[in-house]
Amino acid sequence: MIKLNNVTKVYKGTVVAVRDVTVDIAKGEFVFLVGPSGSGKSTFIRLLNREELPEHGTIYVAGKDIGTLGTWRVPFLRRNIGFIFQDFKLLPKKTVAENVAFALEVIGKPRQVVRKQVPAILELVGLAEKIDNFPHELSGGEQQRVSVARAFVNRPPILLADEPTGNLDPQTSVGIMKLLDRINRTGTTVVMATHDRSIVDTMRRRVIELDRGEIVRDQARGVYE
Amino acid sequence: MALSPRYVLRETGQNLWRNVLSSAAAIITIGVSLWLFGGFFLFNYAVDNATARWEGGIEFVVWMQPDATAEQDANIRDSIDTSPAIKEWIYVDQSQTYEEFREIFADTPELIEVVSPDVLPPSYRVVPENPDADVVAELSDQFVGRPGVEEVVSADQTIRDIQRLADKVTRVFLVGSVILLTAATLLILTNIVSAIRSRGAEIEIMKVVGATNWFIRVPFMLEGLVQAVLGAMGAWVGLRVLDDTVIKGLSEPDSLQLMQGFRVDQGEFYSTSLLVLGIAIVVSGIGSAVAVTRYLDV
Ligand SMILES: Nc1ncnc2c1ncn2[C@@H]1O[C@H](COP(=O)(O)OP(=O)(O)OP(=O)(O)O)[C@@H](O)[C@H]1O
Ligand SMILES: [Mg+2]
Repeated sequence: MIKLNNVTKVYKGTVVAVRDVTVDIAKGEFVFLVGPSGSGKSTFIRLLNREELPEHGTIYVAGKDIGTLGTWRVPFLRRNIGFIFQDFKLLPKKTVAENVAFALEVIGKPRQVVRKQVPAILELVGLAEKIDNFPHELSGGEQQRVSVARAFVNRPPILLADEPTGNLDPQTSVGIMKLLDRINRTGTTVVMATHDRSIVDTMRRRVIELDRGEIVRDQARGVYE
Repeated sequence: MALSPRYVLRETGQNLWRNVLSSAAAIITIGVSLWLFGGFFLFNYAVDNATARWEGGIEFVVWMQPDATAEQDANIRDSIDTSPAIKEWIYVDQSQTYEEFREIFADTPELIEVVSPDVLPPSYRVVPENPDADVVAELSDQFVGRPGVEEVVSADQTIRDIQRLADKVTRVFLVGSVILLTAATLLILTNIVSAIRSRGAEIEIMKVVGATNWFIRVPFMLEGLVQAVLGAMGAWVGLRVLDDTVIKGLSEPDSLQLMQGFRVDQGEFYSTSLLVLGIAIVVSGIGSAVAVTRYLDV
């Protein structure tokens, strides 16, 4: 599903954020990216989404070499990738339902599809009651659920999350992780960067540790360390 | 994958409404600049129409009586042809005069209906060697009152003055309109850029969920287009008023004899209106193209 071959990413010609990384992530895997601040976790994730292009190496996502993908095809690549932000990035003037619907509208989904899928996904993330609330009327955990719903409403095969629990307390984080776990069990590949030791240690999934841009550990059913 | 019209209209409408004041500023600037631009063309058409007879250095016209005899006509032609003071001349016969008449009065078919070529006077349009007013006056006086001559009309200094004045005035229109059009382009550009900035969060989400470039751009570009077209419509109203009051006013039958024919016909008015719309579209196209390519990178 995701394959990196000798990938190196250099910012501004000097900062090596990712160094000669080779890794293979199969369909349906759940992968934690860990490592100290500045080790290149966010860069790794942005490379998968083609927000960044590598200086060296090739990246395959969903069977496509995304380095040779024409600019006009990037949006179609991204329709296969859900993205969850640390700070939710909900649109404050739209309700919960509108925020989720927006993700479908802007890729041209017909109205009937939007009307069917939005309530269904909000049901899945446990927010059926809050459908007409605005983001500021929700707790942080609820806002992150909306953001997960928005990322997953189009049922992408891949979900990327950059510290999705970074702004949440431990209790609430557990709820979000249960949700991501459920989504993963439907066959969705999940790659998640995190600093949250207890989450990694309880979930016992594959752990890839980065240090100064290099993979220093790749462990099945691993721990945070 | 099609852009849903509902989505596009909603987004464009919201963009325009969010910045009503700057949208209004852009619309007014475009309107005024296009009005000046169109006014330049209308005045030029009107001046051309008024002075059509006097183009190519023609300084006076000897109008013959419609029923002048061939002998009288030959007499006049001979004098013109042999005069060393005359550089060149054109004979406009009755059917050509009728054509001219039909062009001038295209908007009043009633008038054309009651006139036939045989009641219209043929004429000699004369280009003298020396266009100096005194010399022309002396030369043209030689034909006044000769048998078969109805009247002699000269394009005296006044016509030339009007042409020169009109030239200057319309040039001011043109320069002013170009400056304002530049301002209008910049206003459209900044409006779109500020719309893009105020919607940074939406744009970020759109990109991340895989909206195409065009899907993201079209509402912004449409915003510029709507501003420009509204401006053009304002300019049309202004041009109508200009034509109905100033231009028609100057050519009123009882005002200056010289301004007769100072008018714009329907075809000229419509082509000017179309041109104005075209310029509006070009201006908004430039403004929005720069805005979305410079400030909406993907
Ligand atoms: N846009 C950028 N321009 C220049 N340098 C960058 C940019 N983004 C990241 N970097 C640098 O690349 C390196 C890796 O950064 P990255 O954000 O990937 O780390 P991270 O592992 O996500 O860190 P954190 O845990 O703090 O989020 C850092 O040295 C950082 O300063
Ligand atoms: Mg990071």
